[in-house]
Amino acid sequence: MWTRESGGLVLTFHLAGINNQNFLMRDDQTGSYWQQITGEAVSGPLRGRRLTLVASDELSFGLWSAEEPGGTVLKTLPQYASDYEKKDWEAKMKKKRTVLSFADPARGLEPRTLLLGIQAFGASRAFPYDAVIQEKLVLDRVGEEPVLLVVGPDGESVRVFRDQIPGASGHPAFYRTLDDKQSHPRDAAWLKQASRAPMLMDAATGSEWNFQGCAVSGKATGLCLEPIEAIKDYWFDWRNYNPKTTVYIRRP
Amino acid sequence: MEGSSRRTVAYPWFLIPLGVVSFAALAYPLYVIRPFRHQGPRELAAALEVIQVRPSIELACVIFALIGLVWYWQVQPLVSRRRLAAAGAFLVCTFAILTRVNIFELMFHPDTHPEFIPIQQAKVDPEDMVMTVKLGGMSHAYPIRSMGYHHVINDVVGREPIVATY
Repeated sequence: MWTRESGGLVLTFHLAGINNQNFLMRDDQTGSYWQQITGEAVSGPLRGRRLTLVASDELSFGLWSAEEPGGTVLKTLPQYASDYEKKDWEAKMKKKRTVLSFADPARGLEPRTLLLGIQAFGASRAFPYDAVIQEKLVLDRVGEEPVLLVVGPDGESVRVFRDQIPGASGHPAFYRTLDDKQSHPRDAAWLKQASRAPMLMDAATGSEWNFQGCAVSGKATGLCLEPIEAIKDYWFDWRNYNPKTTVYIRRP
Repeated sequence: MEGSSRRTVAYPWFLIPLGVVSFAALAYPLYVIRPFRHQGPRELAAALEVIQVRPSIELACVIFALIGLVWYWQVQPLVSRRRLAAAGAFLVCTFAILTRVNIFELMFHPDTHPEFIPIQQAKVDPEDMVMTVKLGGMSHAYPIRSMGYHHVINDVVGREPIVATY
């Protein structure tokens, strides 16, 4: 998700091409072409400029609805409903061929291995999505900076934060306190109470933290962890644009 | 008379390079930038450069083709040759028009006036994933199953112009 302002203009984008299965956009105002994944103009009068990344999440609708009951949803267009992805689209997509590979069987990476990619602190690191979902809480580093990846109370959504309590030194040592047996995106009542309820605790201050990354009890009450942007991507695409990426390997 | 005859013969042949240039400006980017094909960095850069300059190229081809056709129609008595010349000029113009067609948006129709509705009205299942953004106190969700078709949504959230892409 990107801002639409660049060079003093508010740009309007259109799908206009494809570059190794990552699409290109063209803006109406200058005719420049932009790479979707990097937000960089690769052709035209604004070539070389970059759009600014907008903080966003990918959540289950059930969880987001519980977090943001006043939010609004993009209305689907009935005339194209038959063209929209079906329920099993992710399973079908896994079987589709790719024009690039970068398969790495030693690390369990197929071209369409789904992962969470983080570009931060001067480094790139890929976290296989299935591994994160299974572990529920991943404490790791991107470059030299500690991060934590947290699976939400729906068992599907993931947020990433800097593993550092604002204003405090030392390692917080987070651990998960949520009863994951009840996690399910369809359980609206459960999600309503769980969406802002504590699910983590840190050993450093004894504070409880919710899925928004904010402390709801303990010494750190009122403080929020710094969110880190992560994108869900396929390995072949992530590796194509992040040739020096490292990969998280799940602990045995 | 001999000079006039030579020029009369020359115009249909003149249409050939115009047609080739006009067609190449249309076809080369289409050939390079197509789904399920590997794009090398240099050929992609060349295709994008062609896209940037081709409005001028196509305009020049069309102008030359049409001016030449008007003149040729007046000096060429044979109907069959007039028709051949007209067909050639028509092709040049057709190629120029086709460069204005965005085939990607023919395949994946854009949602040019996105509307947002309350959660209670949305036909989205709880386990379906949505992209979400919150700016200026306003929160928008974009269902991934529809974003996977439209790919691009130009939006304003909390007065911030953004583009959601998938």
